[in-house]
Amino acid sequence: MIVETAEAVKIAGRSLMQHKLRSGLSVLGVVCGVMAVLAMIAVGEGAKEKTLKQIGELGIRNIFIKAVSLSDEQIQIARERLSDGLRIFDRERILSIVPDVDDIACLIEIRAAVISTAHIEFSPQIVACSPNYAAIQRFHLSQGRFLNDQDISGNHLVCAIGADVARQLGINGQIGNFLRIENELFKIIGVLDRYYRDKETVTTMAIRNINEMVLIPLGAETLLASSNEVQKEYDICALTEMIVLIKSAETVFRAGEVIKRTLDLSHNGVKDYQIIIPLELLRQAQRTQRIFNLVLGAIAAISLLVGGIGIMNIMLASVSERTKEIGIRRALGATRLDITLQFLAEAFMMTLMGGCIGIVTGIANAYIISQIAGWNTSVTFSAIFLPLVMSISVGLFFGLYPAVKAAKMDPIKALRTE
Amino acid sequence: MTRSAWYGLKMIMIPDIFKHPTPQQDGAGGRANSWFNDISPLPNSPRRGGEESEYLQYPVIEAIDIEKSYWMGSTVLPVLNGVKIRVEQNEFVAIMGPSGSGKSTLLHILGCLDRPDTGTYHLGGRNVLAATDYELSRIRATQIGFVFQAFNLLPALTVFENVRAPFSYSRINKREARSRVENAVARVGLTHRIHHRPAELSGGELQRAAIARALAIGPKIILADEPTGNLDSKTGFEIMNLFQKLHQEGASIVMISHNHRVAEFAQRVIALMDGRITDK
Ligand SMILES: Nc1ncnc2c1ncn2[C@@H]1O[C@H](COP(=O)(O)OP(=O)(O)O)[C@@H](O)[C@H]1O
Ligand SMILES: [Mg+2]
Repeated sequence: MIVETAEAVKIAGRSLMQHKLRSGLSVLGVVCGVMAVLAMIAVGEGAKEKTLKQIGELGIRNIFIKAVSLSDEQIQIARERLSDGLRIFDRERILSIVPDVDDIACLIEIRAAVISTAHIEFSPQIVACSPNYAAIQRFHLSQGRFLNDQDISGNHLVCAIGADVARQLGINGQIGNFLRIENELFKIIGVLDRYYRDKETVTTMAIRNINEMVLIPLGAETLLASSNEVQKEYDICALTEMIVLIKSAETVFRAGEVIKRTLDLSHNGVKDYQIIIPLELLRQAQRTQRIFNLVLGAIAAISLLVGGIGIMNIMLASVSERTKEIGIRRALGATRLDITLQFLAEAFMMTLMGGCIGIVTGIANAYIISQIAGWNTSVTFSAIFLPLVMSISVGLFFGLYPAVKAAKMDPIKALRTE
Repeated sequence: MTRSAWYGLKMIMIPDIFKHPTPQQDGAGGRANSWFNDISPLPNSPRRGGEESEYLQYPVIEAIDIEKSYWMGSTVLPVLNGVKIRVEQNEFVAIMGPSGSGKSTLLHILGCLDRPDTGTYHLGGRNVLAATDYELSRIRATQIGFVFQAFNLLPALTVFENVRAPFSYSRINKREARSRVENAVARVGLTHRIHHRPAELSGGELQRAAIARALAIGPKIILADEPTGNLDSKTGFEIMNLFQKLHQEGASIVMISHNHRVAEFAQRVIALMDGRITDK
């Protein structure tokens, strides 16, 4: 069998070389099919990788509760219903009612200017937070320490700063120095590690850019608020965000439901908050991915079917054109298996060649897509392996019928044809 | 298409295609498989010893009561009606008969390309009608050298490659095959054209190449179907001289012709008439 196959491959190779243009044209369908499938898998995998990364950064055990800014009218209604945004007591309520809650971090965004000691003014995001924020969001520090409970209870004027802030401040950004925010001086006690996130992640998922943040203890914002007219009226002491850490991923959805009902009750139905469950986003992304895969599979199947029919067509033509050759080879001692293998090898080699060309052009395509459209593409093992296997099986499947047809020919009749 | 594809699948599944030759229970007994896959050296010397001399006891061809008819729609067209033919080692036999008398049909049966409807046929003492399609192919590849009227060389291949083609279907190592090919081409006097393609050769050279192809495998029998039919008389005689030379060197040859002058080169002429042999 191996000897026969080797001979068949040799003969088939010669025959293909004789018809370079014809062979090339007939594998075009396979080339396009493989190319399309590869590029689509690369795009799909790239998108998947990206969403998973984004969702992973939010943390699958977390539930985000974010304050929603209301229009004037809505504020009126909210007041009538005695709801004034996210408050510290919402945290207490969730802690006492919702099962499986591990911890809750609270954040207040502050609009205030930082005036560095080097007299450069710039505006990083200033956030007052509870000390557990670092643990829940898994921040690491490159220098010093994060805010702790004593900073809160002792009303310490301290801050931890992001890597970009530290870099912008230069020598003044090292721990022990002071940072001026509005009219107060905050002592830098820690610098956060740099986090690598592309801009799109930050904007699409509303993830805070930690590198550009200044974190101060919760409560310290009251000192800054007096100078900030906009916040004074309504927003003072209202939380911007709560991050609820659930004990295990299995109970996240149930906890989310309970949180929804709890807040609905305590806010008297006013939707001045928004609940984001990363795990839910993950599930949604997976559902979308499944649909995408299905569509992809259908396209792959169709394109390979078209490619396969092209191969079968040319092989049938080749078989009838070479009837005489088949008769001669049979007379010289070729078995039916030899003839089958010869034509099967021809179809196989054509599609294999088509597959390889398709893979090269597909990779190039994926690269071009990522360059021009700016999409994240990822040429994974399956992006190469799957279309290759498909093209080979198309060659074998669609090559089998013509090959068997050739082998079944009556050698005498084949010899008598002209 | 589904039906044919299924047959195709069945065909591939049927073990006898994949099956390698198995010992056959036949007249030749256990000896049959000992020469089954081997390629005997060209019998250029009638003196041989040992095991090989054993099959010299058997005629190369012994066919009895061969009948063959074709179905033309609903009517039966009998072509061979009990043909009896025996060819000894190193014989040169010509079969003569009018066109359509069934000469080619008989030659195809003798060459294991076709099977008779009834009758017995022993090739070198072996009952080949019991062999499977796979085995018949192997017999053709190793023991039968065909020469056709229309040469039947593969146009894409050079003379060398054409002569080597039968070795694709037998287990002969590369170097051995190469030397046999070169030897055969030399014996038909075509060494100077060995790397030419058929399109570059004259009719006589084409037939020489075809004879070299038949010769190279060292066949038990060379079967030639009107080998001079496509050649002018001068070239035809050259080819006949070549056959005669090969015969003198030990080859067994069965040749079809309807030309008396060509048939005279043979040792023995038999006539095929109304599907029967009438020995002269
Ligand atoms: N496949 C076939 N089907 C039907 N009739 C055939 C077939 N092959 C040959 N014949 C007929 O059998 C007869 C003998 O043919 P053939 O052996 O080629 O004769 P020859 O070689 O003596 O001229 C012819 O009448 C031919 O028409
Ligand atoms: Mg004939």
